[in-house]
Amino acid sequence: MATSDNLIQVQRLKKHYGQGSVKALDGITVDIRRGDVMVVIGPSGSGKSTFLRSLNLLEEPTSGAIFFNGIDITKHSYVNSAGKTVTLDIDHYRQRMGMVFQHFNLFPHMTVLQNMTLAPRKVRHFPKRAIEQKVRALLERVGLQNKANAYPIQLSGGQKQRVAIVRALCMDPEVMLFDEPTSALDPEMVGEVLDVMKELAREGMTMVVVTHEMGFAREVGNRILFMADGKLLEEGSPSAIFEHPQHPRLRDFLSKVL
Amino acid sequence: MEHFIQVSNFEKIIPYAKLFGEGFVVTVLLSLLAVMIGFALALVLATLRMSHCYPFLWLARTFPRFFGFLEYTSKGTKRESGFWYRLGRFNPLAFIAATYVEIVRSTPVIVQIFIIYHGVFSLIKLPTGTLFGFIKFHRFLPGVIALGMNSGAYLCEIIRSGIQSVDRGQTEAARSLGLNRSQTFRYVVFPQALKNILPAIANEFVAIIKESAVTYTIGVQDIMSAVNAVRGAAFIVMEPLLVATGLYFCLCFPASKGVAYLEKRMRRGDQR
Repeated sequence: MATSDNLIQVQRLKKHYGQGSVKALDGITVDIRRGDVMVVIGPSGSGKSTFLRSLNLLEEPTSGAIFFNGIDITKHSYVNSAGKTVTLDIDHYRQRMGMVFQHFNLFPHMTVLQNMTLAPRKVRHFPKRAIEQKVRALLERVGLQNKANAYPIQLSGGQKQRVAIVRALCMDPEVMLFDEPTSALDPEMVGEVLDVMKELAREGMTMVVVTHEMGFAREVGNRILFMADGKLLEEGSPSAIFEHPQHPRLRDFLSKVL
Repeated sequence: MEHFIQVSNFEKIIPYAKLFGEGFVVTVLLSLLAVMIGFALALVLATLRMSHCYPFLWLARTFPRFFGFLEYTSKGTKRESGFWYRLGRFNPLAFIAATYVEIVRSTPVIVQIFIIYHGVFSLIKLPTGTLFGFIKFHRFLPGVIALGMNSGAYLCEIIRSGIQSVDRGQTEAARSLGLNRSQTFRYVVFPQALKNILPAIANEFVAIIKESAVTYTIGVQDIMSAVNAVRGAAFIVMEPLLVATGLYFCLCFPASKGVAYLEKRMRRGDQR
């Protein structure tokens, strides 16, 4: 069922609130391939964030399936290659999906270094020495090597978000999920965060990005999803979506944001 | 009464100074131990109240053929309201903890102290020894336990509100990194909650110092019992009471100020 280049397969994913009166997600089906940079756009309230947060089960879907490397992570158990039924450990799958939030969600009581080493040390049990080396290399890549011992409150918004990105990268994720990563930033700081994301994309990281940055979507994305009212209305390459939009809702949306 | 307060009467207290000194030590020890017991108890109670123990939901998921109706309606959709839904969400551990907290918070301390001393410890015989030569163990221990059980209920609510005041995004960030529920609590939520509730814990400590005065009614020889001893022996009231006032103030005022300072220092790096 799952082919090797399909990292995540989402099937008929639904998320309802209030006994089905609100349909945040109304049957989303999409395959995310390895190396994809998938950008999800759409008006606010369209279910983009809910879709993204469902991928690592921060939102529990009402129905549907999410296959990660061929295993349905919405179920409580699965049958392994030896034919045995195994309880599904969602924490194991969350480690492989890095997530970046709109409001950064750095841990305020820890330094940048501690923020980044917490999960590798406590979850992966990496030795302190090795992980700190890796963390410093990552910090250097995003130009924050001298901020290792700073507390989040001492950083600007753009710096916080770059730390949040490398914090997720510390776990060597197979896919990075970005939930409006630049929406809470001052305009002059958007560029520095997008640059880090562009570099990640160039290196071949699989990414799912919910954003309002149409320039980023067009330049970096290889697939654009347009969502409205919890439905996936149109999907295509950046040129198809931005130059030749088909769905009237998409045309309407683009005329407002471009 | 000719002279309400007389300076010469203070001289009559001097022979009893040792009594006040011992009372001071007893009050401090009593309050410290009570808050420590209370904090440990409160951690347990808060854990119970916030636990995810749903026996009926477990039944529904383990034996869906027989108990599936607890989670799903006959149409196959998940229940979101109604009696069966509430039964599924029933958490017996949280219920027990909540019952304890509400009973303790809705009854006077002196009643609780009397129940522990005259009730519980009439069944359990304690050795009648003394600690440091002046603390009567068989009266001191029931006092500590009663006050500890009392402050446990209040501290439980303080801890719970502190935990709930930590931003949801913190939990989400930790879980998305792969930390499990208990690691998330231990490394991310609890340290932040503790910082939030530190002033409230200090207030509780100060409140316990003051409430501990009630324990003289079961014969704990604290500051208040020294007042009574002087009153009985020297027939003066206001003067020993003023001494007690001074002692209590010297305890409570620096305690609350000290923690306010500590709190200010810990504020560092407090925002997201």
